[in-house]
Amino acid sequence: MSEKPIKGQTKEEHCDTEEEKKPAVHIFPEWCKGCGICVAFCPKQVLEMGRDQKAHVVYPERCIECALCARRCPEFAVYVSGDDIKEGKKKNGGEK
Amino acid sequence: MPARLPYAYKYLRAKKKFPHVWCPGCGIGIVMGSIIRAIDSLGWELDDILMVSGIGCTSRMPVYVDFNTLHTTHGRALAFGTGAKMANPNLKVLAVMGDGDSMAIGGNHIIHAARRNMDITAIIVNNNNYGMTGGQFSPTTPQGARTSTTPYGMIEPDFDICKLTEAAGANYVARGDVYHVVELDGLFKKALSGSGFRVVEAMAPCPTNFGRANRQGDAVNMMELLRDETITIAQSAKLPREKTEGKTVRGIFVDKNEIGYLERYQALCDRVSPEVKK
Repeated sequence: MSEKPIKGQTKEEHCDTEEEKKPAVHIFPEWCKGCGICVAFCPKQVLEMGRDQKAHVVYPERCIECALCARRCPEFAVYVSGDDIKEGKKKNGGEK
Repeated sequence: MPARLPYAYKYLRAKKKFPHVWCPGCGIGIVMGSIIRAIDSLGWELDDILMVSGIGCTSRMPVYVDFNTLHTTHGRALAFGTGAKMANPNLKVLAVMGDGDSMAIGGNHIIHAARRNMDITAIIVNNNNYGMTGGQFSPTTPQGARTSTTPYGMIEPDFDICKLTEAAGANYVARGDVYHVVELDGLFKKALSGSGFRVVEAMAPCPTNFGRANRQGDAVNMMELLRDETITIAQSAKLPREKTEGKTVRGIFVDKNEIGYLERYQALCDRVSPEVKK
């Protein structure tokens, strides 16, 4: 875990710096167990652990959509829009 | 529910069963995601797939995926899978097992399924111990490693799953790990699209039991170990001996295309009783 101040609550500030870039990474706190794998192995340090022991998207503007976080997430709690399945197909139509 | 859904949502029993029971940082979830991506890239119908499992942490996997699933007795995933495959040869049977499930309790089943070249994909998640029951040693616990039943270090040598199944006659034998997850996706895809008996060993961390007993740190540290302590087949051939010593080799060890059991069975049926021919 990082020594930096908790960034989980200040997500909006970072979004404002870039011209309204939509975050590509989505984390579902309901499923996240806070193992820290996505945070540790993100090549661009987009994610950080929050005070609630869950991963948070802190620097969405850095994201290169490599989707390694989504692939390595054991909890299926990370989703990268633009889709992480290699062929680039859009999957999953709607709720089930 | 979240506004945007994960890619794997189509394949998961997401509303009923999640979040899953595996510990934070357990590698089995990553293996499950990898299997799902491989199946997705092959474009299979969900109803054509049977995922069969025994007992253990890994064997909880059929609970979470939306294929045909069968959760059976300890070590007998391959036996039940063989029966299902013989009854309905159109099924694509995946047997997911842990290291204890496949090598100790189901050890006999795996060597004979490999000998018959039964058309099943066996996926063995190797976390080096029996995680569900409290971290006892398993046949794949490395020599010297500490577990709850070997507090002074394991004195028995361990099984090499890949060598064992290769010798028993499997068509496809590969080893991957959950750190090199893109590579693992490829191994699964190749295994699933083949024929005959196919084995993929996926090395996964068990931070709760094995990692804690061996002072390997948390899930992130164990993933780093997988990154640093494994080498590809090409690297193992190239690097000097002192750099390859003690490291686990990953990659595809066997990729044959021998006739599977079903084909031989069909040939026998055709030869013995022509009227049974389909």
